[in-house]
Amino acid sequence: MSSSSTANPSAADETLRGQIFQRLHPRVYLERFIAEKIRPDGRAFDEWRNVSVNVGSISTADGSALVRMGDTTIVCGVKAEIAEPELDRPDQGFLVPNIDLPAICSPKFKPGPPTEEAQVLSDKLNEALVASGALSLDSLCIHPGKAVWTLYVDCTCINYDGNAFDAALLAMLGALRNTTLPKATYDEERGRTTCSRKTRSPLRLTRNFASMSFGVLDTSHVLSDPTAFEEPLIDVALTVIVDDRGELISTTESGGAISEETLLRCISRAKERALQLQKLL
Amino acid sequence: MAQSGIDRRRINGPEESFPPLFDDDDDDIELKTRRGRAPGDIRPISRSISQANGSAYIETEKTKIACAVYGPRQSKTTTYSEKGRLNVEVKFTPFSCTRRRAPIRDAEDRSLAVSIHQAIVSSIRLELFPKSTIDVFITIIENDGIEGCIASGSLAASAALADAGIEMLGLVASCSAAIIGDDIQLDPSEAEARASSGTVILACMPALDSITSVWQSGQMSADIALKCMEQCHERCIDIHSIVAQSLLEHRGTN
Repeated sequence: MSSSSTANPSAADETLRGQIFQRLHPRVYLERFIAEKIRPDGRAFDEWRNVSVNVGSISTADGSALVRMGDTTIVCGVKAEIAEPELDRPDQGFLVPNIDLPAICSPKFKPGPPTEEAQVLSDKLNEALVASGALSLDSLCIHPGKAVWTLYVDCTCINYDGNAFDAALLAMLGALRNTTLPKATYDEERGRTTCSRKTRSPLRLTRNFASMSFGVLDTSHVLSDPTAFEEPLIDVALTVIVDDRGELISTTESGGAISEETLLRCISRAKERALQLQKLL
Repeated sequence: MAQSGIDRRRINGPEESFPPLFDDDDDDIELKTRRGRAPGDIRPISRSISQANGSAYIETEKTKIACAVYGPRQSKTTTYSEKGRLNVEVKFTPFSCTRRRAPIRDAEDRSLAVSIHQAIVSSIRLELFPKSTIDVFITIIENDGIEGCIASGSLAASAALADAGIEMLGLVASCSAAIIGDDIQLDPSEAEARASSGTVILACMPALDSITSVWQSGQMSADIALKCMEQCHERCIDIHSIVAQSLLEHRGTN
């Protein structure tokens, strides 16, 4: 060991030791940070990661959005197709959201059919879009009983660093707001629909909303926007969806019991954050 | 009863839906007003996927490809293999093509994966990783023709492998060409490739002046095919220096 450069080798050693400790004892590693009132990536407990939204970059999709929430990167595209409506709902179109967590985004996902995590996320996103009523399905009708628009809203995660649900919901909303549909006319005689490339009109979205996720550690520490490292270590996962008027759309909680006070605190924090996010969209 | 394509693992829409038919589709696509694509347009961005060992993102006019490399990691198979294995998987997002693709993997994904595998496998020193697998995952976010995908995909894969620090003999650069009439057009778009009489995709290692793979399809004389390969090779040399430069710059800032 050279005596002249003593500072550099030990700094590299320390980083390596820290990384090994993080791998072998993740919970203790996190608790050491929590004790100092800070998180491993340097954020305070109630701090959110930087969010950036980029819309309309994909020309093959009718609407698209790319959302980056810290390192979590989700790209969403909307494709519109024409279908026959359901018999009992002749003037309603279809909205089909889906999220895919492919092997590219994280070492914990293997190639193959959607994992349980992806299926649960798809289902939660579907519920959120339906519960909020952001897009009225009646507006997707071309000709009652014969032709309606079907919007396939597909999200793909490119980089998974935790909190995919928030990012995906934001991406879906961004893509839907960016979507334009061509003008469609249904020909009764020939029974088919033709569209015009020249006129495109945007979708009519009734409300804007955003979702905020929290993780609760040891029943008292509430971490907002958990990363991929923190996610498996938290005891309770809590998601609050708030719209742009401050109204609550949905609250989901899983993993354990939390006090009412924690729940109300999270809801009020979510409302504050929702106002900040509105400026992005 | 006919097999209705219900995928139980995803949210399903209506049983059948059709892409919109446009009444003004007969307008001829302007092939002449084509923006000249300079080699400098392809510049992979590294470190875009923090979870992976190495990654690259390539964006050209209408092609966006993200590539991540995981490895070398343990092989799932128990059979001993002296050389490491390279596993390439390609996935199209449903909105990447003009007509929506179902998320099910089909033959096109696999044939693309095989082409890219062939282009890069001879550049990696697999004998240094016995019993290990290197996984290369490619996601095609926007697609402008299969030839462009194979060319940009091979480039992204090679840049991602370099970003991961995996030992290679050289960087692989790849370029495609299409014969339209009597002209050779480099980097054809989907419309151009469809209007052409044949295409050539060349992958090579300019650092070692060797070719790793050639795919030729369509009708063309041997002379024209060789001319295409020469032009692709020249373009590949330019692309190689740009990619090497951007990788060095990136490493310099780390």
